[in-house]
Amino acid sequence: MDNDIEKLSALYDGELSSKEMQESLEMMNEDDGLKETFKKFGLISDLLQRHSEQKTPKVLFLRDRLNKINPLLSNLVTAAATVMITLIVLYQLDDDRFQVDIDSSLQLSSAISSEQAKNQLLNADQNIMEHMIHIMQSSQSHKSQQVSKNWIPVGYSVNPDNPNQYSNGRNNLFFHLEKKQLGIKKVRYFKANNNWIYLIPLQDGRLLTAYGDVPPSVADPMIQSIYQRK
Amino acid sequence: MGISKEDEVFVSEIKSGNKMAFEAIVLKYQPKLMSALIGYTKSRDQAEELSQKTFLRVWQKIESFRGDSGLFTWIYRIGINLAKNDFASSHARSSKITDSLDQTDHDIPQHLSPEVELIALESEHRIMDFIQTLDADTKTAFTLREIDGRTYDEIAQILECPIGTVRSRIFRARQLILEFMNQENILNG
Repeated sequence: MDNDIEKLSALYDGELSSKEMQESLEMMNEDDGLKETFKKFGLISDLLQRHSEQKTPKVLFLRDRLNKINPLLSNLVTAAATVMITLIVLYQLDDDRFQVDIDSSLQLSSAISSEQAKNQLLNADQNIMEHMIHIMQSSQSHKSQQVSKNWIPVGYSVNPDNPNQYSNGRNNLFFHLEKKQLGIKKVRYFKANNNWIYLIPLQDGRLLTAYGDVPPSVADPMIQSIYQRK
Repeated sequence: MGISKEDEVFVSEIKSGNKMAFEAIVLKYQPKLMSALIGYTKSRDQAEELSQKTFLRVWQKIESFRGDSGLFTWIYRIGINLAKNDFASSHARSSKITDSLDQTDHDIPQHLSPEVELIALESEHRIMDFIQTLDADTKTAFTLREIDGRTYDEIAQILECPIGTVRSRIFRARQLILEFMNQENILNG
């Protein structure tokens, strides 16, 4: 039965050979249940399109190649062959308070596996993606004294063996500093499986990238303390 | 935008007289067309009648469909033009409004099938949340197909896996979503 419905699914997508198509059409012609299923495939498509239009998502696909990259990040985000990344504009720096801006969220679910896919991805948000790839591929560490104590979430302390790594015993957080801000004006975060990547433009013109299995609920006070206004 | 690859296959079959392929297209697009016609006529009965006339016309005129537009776009134009004619007749107008299939004087609104409109926003969110729980490989293949409109071959290249794997992942996603909808009594009346 599953095989029949799998064929029906491929029929819906116009992906059957002429012979298989005919077989599948005949099968559907004799089975009202299959007709109903075929119709529901259409409903699911409509629903996804409606949702897609409402959210105006920009969906791309990023296949990870993280076995070749920074092993620190690799350990964090290589769990799945495909990394689904959600990019959300989180904070409005124009406001006195840093509010979550769900409406302006932008989803990027991507899989980099080929130059074509990578190019597609880069076209979408070139600066950010270049930066992401740069830090993923970079093994260059920065001096630990560059990391302000204010950036470290409560309960986290530096790993004596790795000045880039901060841990509370269960979760790990890594920092990366860049001199350029890549046009990023607002804090953004990405979700990659159970891990998070925060891009935080600093007031001195640098860009702080924090990444690890640290959810926004923990990162939020950290980000707010970085932006604490007088 | 021209005809999609999946519809092209069906159109080709219909042009060669395959009634089952035609019925598949009716199953696929009738709910969406009904929604458009109900919106236009404000009457479900009238919309039902126009929908039947529309698909009859589609069957009769499929040879003239060149694929310059999407298949549903073409079906929609036929349906709306028939509705306009009906409206004109009912108002005893002597001048007949054209039912030209090339008429492009209006954009197609985003009509959803009545069934989809019945899915409450809350249910829609539950379904979308459920899709997020699918494993990454399944979700990626399914999203590439449904949102990006990629062919199986393109998806296989992007994901670097065999076409058969793409086909089974997309099927798996649909199957799980349908099971979820059944379990949650979405669209089960």
